[in-house]
Amino acid sequence: MLELSLFVILALFIVGGAVATITNRQPLFSAFGFLVSMLAMAGVFGLLENQFLALAQIMVSVGAVVVLNILSIMTVNAKEENLPQEPYKYRWILLSGVLVSPVTFLIYKSMSMAYQHFSTLETVNTKVMGETLFSAWVLPFEIVSILLLSAMVGAIVIARKKDVIAKETR
Amino acid sequence: MLSLIVVLPFLSALFLGGLYLSRPQLQNSFIYTAVGIASPAISAILSFVVLLRMFADGNTVYETLFQWIDIGSFQIAVAFMADRLSVVMISFITLIGTLIHIYAAGYMRGDPGYGKFFSYFNLFMGSMLLLVLADNPVMMFVGWELVGLSSYLLIGFYHQDHANITAANKAFILNRVGDFGFIIAIALLFVSLEGSGFTFDAIAANISTLSTERLTLIGLLLFVGAMGKSAQIPLYVWLPDAMAGPTPVSALIHAATMVTAGVYMVARYSFLYVEIPDVGLFIAYIGAASALFAALMATFESDIKKILAYSTMSQLGYMFIAVGLGAYSSGIFHVFTHAFFKALLFMGAGAVIIALHHEQNIFKMGALKKALPVVYVSMFIATLAISGIPPFAGFFSKDAILMAAFSSEHYDIWAVGLFTAFLTAFYMFRLFFSVFLAEGSKERTLQELPGSMTRPLLFLALGSATVGFLGLNEAFGGHSWFQNFLSLPDVVHEVSHTQEYMLVALSVTVALMGMGLAYRMFAHHPQEAKSDQWLKTLIINKFYVDELYDVMVVKPLLLLSRLIATVIDPKIVDALIMGLSKSYLLMGRSFARLQTGRVGDYALQILIGVSLMSTYILFKLGMM
Amino acid sequence: MTPEPFFFLAALLFSIALVGVVSRRNLFVIYMSIELMLTSTSLVLVIFSKVLGSADGSVMALLMIAVIAAEAALFLAMIIHLYRRNRTLDSEMCDELKQEANNA
Repeated sequence: MLELSLFVILALFIVGGAVATITNRQPLFSAFGFLVSMLAMAGVFGLLENQFLALAQIMVSVGAVVVLNILSIMTVNAKEENLPQEPYKYRWILLSGVLVSPVTFLIYKSMSMAYQHFSTLETVNTKVMGETLFSAWVLPFEIVSILLLSAMVGAIVIARKKDVIAKETR
Repeated sequence: MLSLIVVLPFLSALFLGGLYLSRPQLQNSFIYTAVGIASPAISAILSFVVLLRMFADGNTVYETLFQWIDIGSFQIAVAFMADRLSVVMISFITLIGTLIHIYAAGYMRGDPGYGKFFSYFNLFMGSMLLLVLADNPVMMFVGWELVGLSSYLLIGFYHQDHANITAANKAFILNRVGDFGFIIAIALLFVSLEGSGFTFDAIAANISTLSTERLTLIGLLLFVGAMGKSAQIPLYVWLPDAMAGPTPVSALIHAATMVTAGVYMVARYSFLYVEIPDVGLFIAYIGAASALFAALMATFESDIKKILAYSTMSQLGYMFIAVGLGAYSSGIFHVFTHAFFKALLFMGAGAVIIALHHEQNIFKMGALKKALPVVYVSMFIATLAISGIPPFAGFFSKDAILMAAFSSEHYDIWAVGLFTAFLTAFYMFRLFFSVFLAEGSKERTLQELPGSMTRPLLFLALGSATVGFLGLNEAFGGHSWFQNFLSLPDVVHEVSHTQEYMLVALSVTVALMGMGLAYRMFAHHPQEAKSDQWLKTLIINKFYVDELYDVMVVKPLLLLSRLIATVIDPKIVDALIMGLSKSYLLMGRSFARLQTGRVGDYALQILIGVSLMSTYILFKLGMM
Repeated sequence: MTPEPFFFLAALLFSIALVGVVSRRNLFVIYMSIELMLTSTSLVLVIFSKVLGSADGSVMALLMIAVIAAEAALFLAMIIHLYRRNRTLDSEMCDELKQEANNA
């Protein structure tokens, strides 16, 4: 019962954060909704008895991604007139909400009909995850590390100012 | 050797054509004459070698050049076959063809298209030889079509004049009508035989497996082809117009090649026509009608070449009477003798025309007896021969045909034949007397005739006088050697000798009557026929057949063409096509509008697709 | 507890994020919606990991978090670049690839 109530609270936070993210006009407010959603997601991970992932979610998604996001928004510091004009925002949301509903229903139904019970085995703990990560999944792990490196380099190149590049290459 | 006979004229035609096109400055070069005459001459020599071999052992000669079509059971080889019939045909075709070539060298001298002429001429020879020597119906059809093509080229030889082009087109198109029947017949024959070989021998061996109805259809369609080529009713109207070509062309078309192809074809398929005597009778009636019809038209014609053209049609009618009644060898015998005297007549006419500076109306000639003695003598022999006066060639062959008609108890055909014989004698002597004996204008200068034009005349005159004896039948003390040599499946009816003598006497009397009438009317003061009676008017205007065809076929066709050109093509077909292309353009434009370049729109499109797919899956899984 | 509410949560989050991607034009919002979609996917992976009693799903989710981080870096860099160039956060301003209707 405690689990279920916890889940309901977390789910409300997640959904509420997500709705706030997609409805707010100001990106900074969206980012706060995003932050709430991500944090609550970490809680859901914890509820699923996956403490390591919950921690990773808080550290990476919240600590790095969301913070980076908020920093970017602040760096851009868009004025009101630089924000896109979206007069029919709610109509669009309604329309796409109607369109998306069968997709939601299909995803939910297909998954929940396939698996109706959690496994009773206590196998998913940090130790097992570490062993799996560094044995069967070591190659994807390395690839992800290269991906991170190249993303870092790419981000620097893209976000740089043009004249800086021009000066250096000259 | 057979392939050489056929291929040689084609090669020289190609060579001369190439030479003519690449060296236009070579106007009357010796090389044209040499090559142009040498190739038919060599073919003639080779043909006689084949003929002599045939005399020695009597075997049919086969020769395959290469496999042309090889699709399952549809196997067509470029192959040649020389049996008795085709050997006889090629022998006189090449012989007379060579003589006409020599004659043409004189006739065409100084013409700017000299080289072209010989190229076409050799092509004509080659086509005809291909037709005759073909081993299977498809190769025969190739030759058949090539004959049509080369006749088209030669009739329209003086293409500067629009009328000549029209005449060439007329010949070509009417031949097409006939060829249509021919090709359907070949296809039917092939389908009916179900792949049991498609050479003449194989067809002859398997012909009995076909039903009579099918055979009748094939026979009729084949005869439609023969009608076109051999100018029989109703496809004859091209023949008089074909006189637009140079006279040697007329000689070649009428004597040795082209028009005899129809008769040859019927004789070649004699194994087929023997099975269907009803169709044969139909052919005989068409032949009789054509013979009479053409003779009537010739009687009032005043153009020398057109008279001869109608006489050819009339004689071809005789040949079809013969092959239709099953007297194939008599028909071929008439083809053979006719080739001699008709070539002679045309060459003589050509000589007269050249001498008189291209005058073709017989009533403007006259009194050429002294001026052109060689032409006079040879023309006289030829006229006697065609009129059926013994002992000249035409008498024997025509008599054999009339005998066949009488003995097979088709007295109506016989009577028509006899009357036509009278008319033949009349109009031929009308021509002869008007040209040579009647009074002519005094002040005129005749053009000198070269030896190459007169010498072949003498040779042919000799032939016209004597070749008839080759087919002398028993009543005259011979053994029908020519007919027996051909060994065609003739339908023979016995006639007693007394009956035969009476018939001969009758036909000779009739011919002499015609001759006498012509002498009385035309020997001194010939008068051009005037259309003072309705019958005469009808005949002089050629029974209005050309006009009839014009109204019945040409006008509706033109009207239809105009309708298609002005209404159906632009308003319906083009509109459809253009509408289709426009609709594609419109579709493209409307789809291009989807490519907005905006991410949100693409995402929406994806979402719509995914949503529809999900809905479909949900329905299929029964969840909704 | 059964996995059913978790699946429902994942599907709902994914759909809300998808609606955000389709209906909004602000580049930051689009970016965050994509992040939410990815997160919902990693939630599904974690649920599966627990359902099947295998660590593989969790490992995948972990790797996915790393990918999310990499994507964040690139996406934000691109947004900044685009903002510098166009002086707007409107995604519809980036339509150089569109088909001009009149030259068809």
